[in-house]
Amino acid sequence: MMRRHLAGIALFLAFLHGHGQQHSIFRGRVTDGQTGEALFGATILYARDRGTVTNQEGVFVLELPQGNHTLTIQYVGYRSQTIPLSIRAGETQQLNIALMPEVTEIEQVIVSAGRVEQRVGESTVSVSVIRPSAIMADHITDPTELLNKSPGIEIIDGQASIRGGSGFAYGAGSRVLALIDGLPMIAPDAGSIRWNLLPFENISQIEIIKGASSVLYGSSALNGIINFRTADATPQGSLNFFTEAGLYGAPRQSNWKWWDTPRVFSNFSVSHLKKYGNTDIGIGTYLQSDPGYRKRNDETFGRANFRLKHHNAKIEGLTYGLNGSALMNNKIDFVVWENGETGALIHDTSTATRLHGKTFFLDPFISLKSDQRYSHDLRVRYQMLRNEFPDGSQVDSDAFSLYAEYQLWVKINELINLNAGLVQQSSRIRSNFYGDHEALNAGAYAQTDISPLERLKLVAGIRLEFNSLNGENDKLVPLYRAGINYKLTPLTFLRSSFGQGYRYPSIAEKFAATTLGAVRIFPNPALNPESGWNAEIGIKQGIITPKLDGLIDLAFFYTQNKDLIEFDFAFRPDPYTGVPDFGFQANNREYSRVYGFETELMLNTKVGRLNYSINGGYVFIYPTEFNPYTLKNTGVLLKYRRKHSAKLSISTSLRRYELGLHLFARSKILNIDDVFVNPTTRESILPGFFDYWQENNTGHFLADLSLGYRINANYTLSLAVKNLTNTEYMGRPGDIQPQRHFSLRFSGKF
Amino acid sequence: MKKLSLLVIPVVFMIFFSCGKDEDTPFTLLTERTWVSDSLLVNGQNAGNPGQLLENFNGEVNFNKNGTGSFGSYTGTWRFAQNETQIIITTTELPLPLTTEIEVLTRTDLKVNTAFPDPENAGVTLIIRMTFKAK
Repeated sequence: MMRRHLAGIALFLAFLHGHGQQHSIFRGRVTDGQTGEALFGATILYARDRGTVTNQEGVFVLELPQGNHTLTIQYVGYRSQTIPLSIRAGETQQLNIALMPEVTEIEQVIVSAGRVEQRVGESTVSVSVIRPSAIMADHITDPTELLNKSPGIEIIDGQASIRGGSGFAYGAGSRVLALIDGLPMIAPDAGSIRWNLLPFENISQIEIIKGASSVLYGSSALNGIINFRTADATPQGSLNFFTEAGLYGAPRQSNWKWWDTPRVFSNFSVSHLKKYGNTDIGIGTYLQSDPGYRKRNDETFGRANFRLKHHNAKIEGLTYGLNGSALMNNKIDFVVWENGETGALIHDTSTATRLHGKTFFLDPFISLKSDQRYSHDLRVRYQMLRNEFPDGSQVDSDAFSLYAEYQLWVKINELINLNAGLVQQSSRIRSNFYGDHEALNAGAYAQTDISPLERLKLVAGIRLEFNSLNGENDKLVPLYRAGINYKLTPLTFLRSSFGQGYRYPSIAEKFAATTLGAVRIFPNPALNPESGWNAEIGIKQGIITPKLDGLIDLAFFYTQNKDLIEFDFAFRPDPYTGVPDFGFQANNREYSRVYGFETELMLNTKVGRLNYSINGGYVFIYPTEFNPYTLKNTGVLLKYRRKHSAKLSISTSLRRYELGLHLFARSKILNIDDVFVNPTTRESILPGFFDYWQENNTGHFLADLSLGYRINANYTLSLAVKNLTNTEYMGRPGDIQPQRHFSLRFSGKF
Repeated sequence: MKKLSLLVIPVVFMIFFSCGKDEDTPFTLLTERTWVSDSLLVNGQNAGNPGQLLENFNGEVNFNKNGTGSFGSYTGTWRFAQNETQIIITTTELPLPLTTEIEVLTRTDLKVNTAFPDPENAGVTLIIRMTFKAK
């Protein structure tokens, strides 16, 4: 956005300045140094505020006064170039310029914070960026593993919590919205994230917005968003594959080992992406077989995806296409252990239920981008989920949803941009578990970015959110956000923001009615939406020296949520029959406040012949409940939060060798559900847990190690050891995390 | 003009007085008074005498604004649930949180109903009804 402002001002000033002088001409074309594609809107400056911009073919014509000049060529996402030029009166010179994609940390381009491209430093909210190199080098195939090892995020049993804002509530929907290229991937029935559907084989960047983002992204973005951006095709094309096999080691407690033959897992991935003429084509597939380190907790799945994108040759800026993904899995999800003494890695038979799942996405889209003045995007996602339980078909379910989004971006003038959109999602559920339901979610949003000064950016946004369930309309909910970013120095950015969050309960939370093992689950049709807001101030400092490239970020934040849903245990009447029984029911239970700060460091450097990449972070939170009537803190610490979490990753490479060491530390979980500590219920719900918890809830330290050897330009052999110290630690109650395990990978890149 | 004055004056008068008077909410009704047990029934029979199931609910009940409370001889915490149609009482003396449905809550009366498993007969549910009067 700043680029457009600069370009406009530069053009105007160039006109004023050049009027009446004898001109020389410098012309040329600016292209992507890797793909050869024209760069539209690149800025060519010969003084601080004088210059021109490229047209849609990347061509520019610059009128210059005679003499010596230093030209600066800039484009968002690319490394700027400076070119010395000496030109005589009336002379015409020509030069084509190839810009290389940006590599500096502070100038990384993100799209999630404002739904338009901007540099990470210019965002008004906290954003973390994860690059795909971390996925490959560390043998990460599960998105939750990657995110769990990122600063400020903890994933507990598939539920993401950013800076302690969400915590964990078994069976509740996600309070963090996951997206693929901006399209939500929340299951319409359970409101959960289908992590395995993410096309990990073709990821260009992962962007994490830390804080309520419901104004732009609607329900489920209560605590933030995670946007998985896929890579674009290039004329050169790419073909990547890997095949991997791994082995679980023995647990620290030898009497927990229940297997006689090695627990071997394996996976395979291949993806291809190439631009053929005006059409981008991408295909990818991933297959995994994991017998698990726990008895009766295995998963086999296959995922495939395709991308088709056509650039219309007649209408400049018009693109359209179709993306699709499909997932089939066969698994038993872990619920509770057999006992805490010898059966912690054995899934109790009463809750071990095999699931055959099928998920299918189809995403048509059309986009028109015109002359850096406006863009129209219309995107649709048809989603189908089917859950089959071969041992108990009475709880099979089908879910369908149709999501449509229209987004308009307009550059109103040199100072103001407007981003507005309409969103609608219709869902239909057919289930013996939840019942049959039809839901409608609709939203309209508008956000304006104003830059009254070159260094200052102001953001304000509003959304109207509407939900309807089974024909009953909920009230129209207004949501607001505002932010400010000030560029104190070329590499120092101050920011402050406020944003509201909102989450409508999932079908599962409202209507799930079943018996799980010996435990009943009651529906609660009267469940209310969750809502909240967060505010933060932060500073981001870029570090660019001849030997260093990096950034440091520090943010102080405050999050307040009300009516957070969790399943609590009680003797209560069934809401439909009135018959009382023991069981769980989703209730608006938690009123939370989280105070804290986070610091993040990314540093790339070269010492001698060694390249180093250092990435670390530390988060402190104070999470407490508050009384919704007096608004005073109760002092009761929130469940499933930790005060301290830290991460440090060091990756280095020398010639053909690569080494990665990743260290993680987390303090103890501050509080858990009463049902696990209450003397009346704790042994019947999770045998042996309370004693284990008393002794072992002390926090944990983890280390992962990876070693890689590049056989040649195309092939790499690598070894990864996860949980190197064989630390025994737990996620949610009873969910012992994997012990030390090893994997060997052979990968190729063409 | 005179007709307008006749209309405006009563409206302003009503607004003035309605603004000056706090409206009752379930929270203020519950917390701004001390309640005294009036009848404690299990399956329609009095169960508040010494040795009976509800004897510990006998006496004064206070729902404090900060979420703590005393409920007869029990002490613990309380909270509303289900859009303020339920009160959930948690004490260390009770094996589980007691979920009660509010039947009546006025400035003078509090009536709650709940069910609880019979501690002496497995599978049998006791229907409990407790009424309290404002002190």
